[in-house]
Amino acid sequence: MNPSRVRLLFAALLVGQLFLLAAQEPDRGGAASLLEGAALRSLGPLARAVDASSHALASARQGLRRRGELATENRALRQEVLELRRRELRMAGLEQEIAGLSKTLAFSRRHAAAFRIAEVVHADYSSWLRSFVLYVGAGAAHRNQAVLSDEGLVGRVIRVSGAYAKVQLLTDRAASAGVQLQRSRRQGVVRGSSAGELLLDFIPLQAEVEVGEAVLTAGIDGVYPRGIRVGVVISVEPGNEVFHRIVVEPAVDFSRLSFVYLLEGELVPSALLSEGDHAVP
Amino acid sequence: MRFLKFVAGLAIAALLHFAGARLIPNFSQAVDLFLLVVALEARHGSPMAGMFAGLAAGLLADGLSGGPFGLYGFANTAVGFGIARAAQQLVVQRTTGLAGVFAAGAAAQQAILATLALVFRDHAELPDPLWLLVKVGTTALLGLAWTAAANQLTHRLRFWRAHRATKIQFPG
Repeated sequence: MNPSRVRLLFAALLVGQLFLLAAQEPDRGGAASLLEGAALRSLGPLARAVDASSHALASARQGLRRRGELATENRALRQEVLELRRRELRMAGLEQEIAGLSKTLAFSRRHAAAFRIAEVVHADYSSWLRSFVLYVGAGAAHRNQAVLSDEGLVGRVIRVSGAYAKVQLLTDRAASAGVQLQRSRRQGVVRGSSAGELLLDFIPLQAEVEVGEAVLTAGIDGVYPRGIRVGVVISVEPGNEVFHRIVVEPAVDFSRLSFVYLLEGELVPSALLSEGDHAVP
Repeated sequence: MRFLKFVAGLAIAALLHFAGARLIPNFSQAVDLFLLVVALEARHGSPMAGMFAGLAAGLLADGLSGGPFGLYGFANTAVGFGIARAAQQLVVQRTTGLAGVFAAGAAAQQAILATLALVFRDHAELPDPLWLLVKVGTTALLGLAWTAAANQLTHRLRFWRAHRATKIQFPG
C-alpha cells in the first residue's frame, strides 16, 4: 500500500480509538461494549483454563507431599463439620426466636444477604489499574455488585460480559467506599492509593482515632452493606486544618484470592437511585 | 504464514501472561508480553502489519485490564507503527541497538498509557518509575533473547539443510 495511505489509515485508527475511549464517558451501565465483550469472552476461558491447571498442579504436588497428613486432616474436618452442623441448628433456633421477637415488636429487619461464589481467573496489578476478572458462572453478575472475601471487602463489579465480570478492587485509585470507624462510629470515605493502601478521608480532627482501630463499611453508599471489614488504621496524622490524614491497611490480601463472594440483591432499589447517588465512582 | 505466527504468538503471550500473573502477583507490572509480540512483529519493517498487530494485541490487553477500553489498543497501535517505521529507516543489527528499539517501544507505550489515563480516567496517576524501568528492561531483555534464539534456530536449520548426510535420490 502507498505509504501516505498507510499513514492516513494509522491516523484514522488512532482517532477511532480516541473516540472509543471518549464514548465510554458517561458509563454504559456496566455492560461491556461489543469489542470489550469479545476480548473478555475469548480470553476469559483461557485464563480460567490456566488458573484451573495451576490449581490442579499445586494440589497434586501438595497431595503427594501431604498424603500421610490427609487422613488425619480428614478426620479433623469431619469433626469440624459435625460441630458446625450442631451450631447451625442452634443458630436456626436463635434466628427463629429473633424473628418471633421482632414480629412481636413489629421491627422490620433487612433480609439476610445471600452470597454467590465466583472464581478469580485473572488479576491485573498494573500501577494505575487494579482489577480482577471473575468467572461468575450461569447467573450473570451486575454492575456495582459488591465483592467480598472471607477476610473483608474486595471491591465492586464494573463490567459484565457473559459468564465473566471485571471487578474494580478497593485499592484502585478510582475506587472509594463509605466507611465508619468501629470504635468512634465516625463516618468517612476510603479510597485507593498507588501504594496499595487505603486513604480514609473526612474524619474531623476532633475525632479520636487510634492506630489499630478497625474500619468497617458504613452502608451509606448504596453499594456496600454495613459492617463489612475494610481494614485497620495504620497511621493517623493531622492532614489539613479540618480532617485527619488516615492510612488504612486493607483487610484483604488481594494477591492470595482464588475465590470471592458476590453479594446478591440490591441494597437500595435502583429505581430510587440516580447515577450520582453512588458514593463509589 | 507470518499472520499465523503472529496469532500463535499472541495466544502464547496470553497463556504466559495468565500463568505469570497466577505465579507472581506483580507480573503484569513487570512484563508486557502483548507488547513484546507487537514489537517482534513490527521489527520486520511493515508499518501496516505493525499497527494492526498493535491494535489486536492492545485490544486483547484492554479486555483484561480494568481501565477504559481502548487504552492499550491506542498505545500499542502507535508503538507498533513507530517500531515498524524505525525498522524501515534504520538497519539495526547490533545487540545494543536492538535492545534500544524494544526498550524505546516499552517506554513509549508507558508514556502514551499514562497520558491517556490522565485524560480519560478519574484519579489517574503516573506509573511507578521503578516498575516502569523494570518493564522497559524486561521488554528489551526478552526481545533480545527471543531474537537471538530465533536467529540461532534459523542458522542451525539452514546448516542442517545444507549439510545433511543423506540426500533423497530420485530414480532416473
